[in-house]
Amino acid sequence: MANKKITVSPMSRRLVMRENVAAYLFMLPFLLFFVAFVLYPMFMCIFTSFFDATMGRDDIFIGFQNYKELFNDPIFWKALKNTLVIVLVSVPVTCVFSLWVASVISRMPMAGTSAFRCIFYLPVVTGSVAVTMVWKWMFNNYYGIFNYLGQNMGLLDKPINWLGDPKYALGCIILILLTTSVGQPIVLYVSALDNVDKSLVEAAEVDGATQMQAFWKIKWPQMMPTTLYILVITTINSFQCFALIQLLTSGGPSNSTMTIMYYIYYNAFKLYRYGYGNAMGVILAIIIAILSAIQFKAGQEK
Amino acid sequence: MKKLLVLLLALTMVFALAACGGQAAPAESAAPAPTESAEPAPAEGVTITLWTYPIGKWTDEATVKDLIADFNAVYPDITVQVEYLDYTNGDDKVNTAIEGGQAPDIVMEGPERLIANCGAKGLMVDLADIVPAGTYDSIIGSCTSANGEVYELPVCMIAHCMAINRDVFEAADALQYLNEETHTWNSVDDFFKAVQAVYDAGYPYVGTIYCGGQGGDQGTRALITNISGGTYANAEHTEYTYASQENAEGLARLYAQDGINFDTAIVASDEIQNFVNGTFQMAFCWNISQEVNNADALGFDVLPMAFPSDTTPSLQGGIWGFGVFNNGDDARIEAAKTFIQFMTSEEEYAKAVEATTFAPVRDVDGIYADNALFPEYSLLSPLMGDYYQITKGWTEARTEWWNMLQRVNDSDGSVESILAEMQAAQDTANAAAAAG
Repeated sequence: MANKKITVSPMSRRLVMRENVAAYLFMLPFLLFFVAFVLYPMFMCIFTSFFDATMGRDDIFIGFQNYKELFNDPIFWKALKNTLVIVLVSVPVTCVFSLWVASVISRMPMAGTSAFRCIFYLPVVTGSVAVTMVWKWMFNNYYGIFNYLGQNMGLLDKPINWLGDPKYALGCIILILLTTSVGQPIVLYVSALDNVDKSLVEAAEVDGATQMQAFWKIKWPQMMPTTLYILVITTINSFQCFALIQLLTSGGPSNSTMTIMYYIYYNAFKLYRYGYGNAMGVILAIIIAILSAIQFKAGQEK
Repeated sequence: MKKLLVLLLALTMVFALAACGGQAAPAESAAPAPTESAEPAPAEGVTITLWTYPIGKWTDEATVKDLIADFNAVYPDITVQVEYLDYTNGDDKVNTAIEGGQAPDIVMEGPERLIANCGAKGLMVDLADIVPAGTYDSIIGSCTSANGEVYELPVCMIAHCMAINRDVFEAADALQYLNEETHTWNSVDDFFKAVQAVYDAGYPYVGTIYCGGQGGDQGTRALITNISGGTYANAEHTEYTYASQENAEGLARLYAQDGINFDTAIVASDEIQNFVNGTFQMAFCWNISQEVNNADALGFDVLPMAFPSDTTPSLQGGIWGFGVFNNGDDARIEAAKTFIQFMTSEEEYAKAVEATTFAPVRDVDGIYADNALFPEYSLLSPLMGDYYQITKGWTEARTEWWNMLQRVNDSDGSVESILAEMQAAQDTANAAAAAG
């Protein structure tokens, strides 16, 4: 077939131009917001990380000194380790648990599906402070329900200071994080399961595929974009776990629940070491970026 | 392209939070430019902001509104906007406001924040010109910087003490170890005997070394230094001295005592709550304000006590007053000074102090005439010790203290390991003090 040269009239060009201008004008408010509240803070974070910045005096340029100090700071390494433990435990558990719950409740009648979706989504819409305070009471060393039940059922000889014992504190934080993290993935997985092409599943079943085979060979590949999104968002949320630590343990006992996010806050707002805190923010961003890239790469290969 | 966009989004989410603590312009000082005090602008027709930490009823809106109404009756053109802070997030709020150039005009707090922190950073106005000669001589030194600037006009003070559940102590026959008239323990040994007696009577949580955060750390500091006879900082307020053999021995003795528990999950407010609801039989973070504020919840007789000591107990003092931030606006600074002068005037001072529930810092007639608790608590005021909270590096020293207690809780409790933990904390605090 011979190539036909398409000519665009000046009238059409003007129309395209006008539409482009209109589109950019619509985008402008968000772009201004994005620049002011995302790009500018991002730039300042990197910029300030090269300064000894504190309250009440001029900042002093110190090059990479904050980064050098960071890598020799045992609390930073402890915080990094704790953060990685939180991510490595909470991300897979959140994904697997939400997939399991979603696959169970999506087979229920509509009313049941909606009811369970609401129940699991409740911790997400409830204020994190309220949720955390309830958990704090449940974990209370002196009159918490866990110790009460544990002792009355003969499981515990004496009360456990759940949030005050380095052996248990991080586990408790992860448990609370899981309850607040699974709501959104469950809702997303239920929607993803609803959107799976049912004719393909029926065809596979007609061809003799078991339920398990139908799930892994037909449904799972179609849910990959959802899974990828959930993985990335859960990873970022886990890395940025802050409110729980702030409200429950302040990073203690003995830094056993210290995370990078809380250590950034601690340095910036308790010790007024803004440059040092920002250097940590840069490192955390790099780690998250690398992990997100790996997740996307893996997701694309699948 | 899509991958790049997602990576950019992931990065921005982290940076945006981390950058919250960043300063806007590295070349600029956060301290506002000094103002000319020679020709003050008229103090009327301006709006000033007053931020108060929880000092007695200065967090009660009705009480504060009443005081401000008195002020506005005399100065109708000065509008006072009040914000109430708490000790958990108050510092963050103030620091964020300072960084954003929106510091309040007046802050009501103690010298540890107004002198050792904000004053040392050059953010406060020297109030020497509104301090009446001879009125505050006994206390003004604690509100004055090393360079002689008065960054706080004191309003009230209190000697922080401890408290016991008198009913439980009586039932456990432990009142024999203390003097109810003077509110002191017979000796340090008798304090431990009393704890043992209450513990043996079936109370597992007699007292708790709370160390989940820095709130109320004056209680644990005073407990340890009084038991051991040690010090926390030197007399010149230039360095911290708590890493001593005697302090380590005192803490080791507490560590080993039945009924004294370390709890790294609670802070002072939790301790007070547990004391008030009867879970703990002692509170190490106590003062008259706690008894006033918890009057309805207390189901037992509270006996305020000095900390156990073999010599004269040295109680940790609390001083609160007004400081003025230098926001670079003469009119607002003058209005703030006018407000402070009014609140500390002969006509209003007693009312302003009674709102704090604490003791006045100067002679005043007829104060607390109807308050049954005040005479009991005022017996402890003469025991107020050195006000070492104005030592430089105080912020770091406080965070090191409770972190040190957490590590001690994880240790074997020997004097050697406790001393090592104290030394590590003290070194960091002293490094901060030296850095200024």
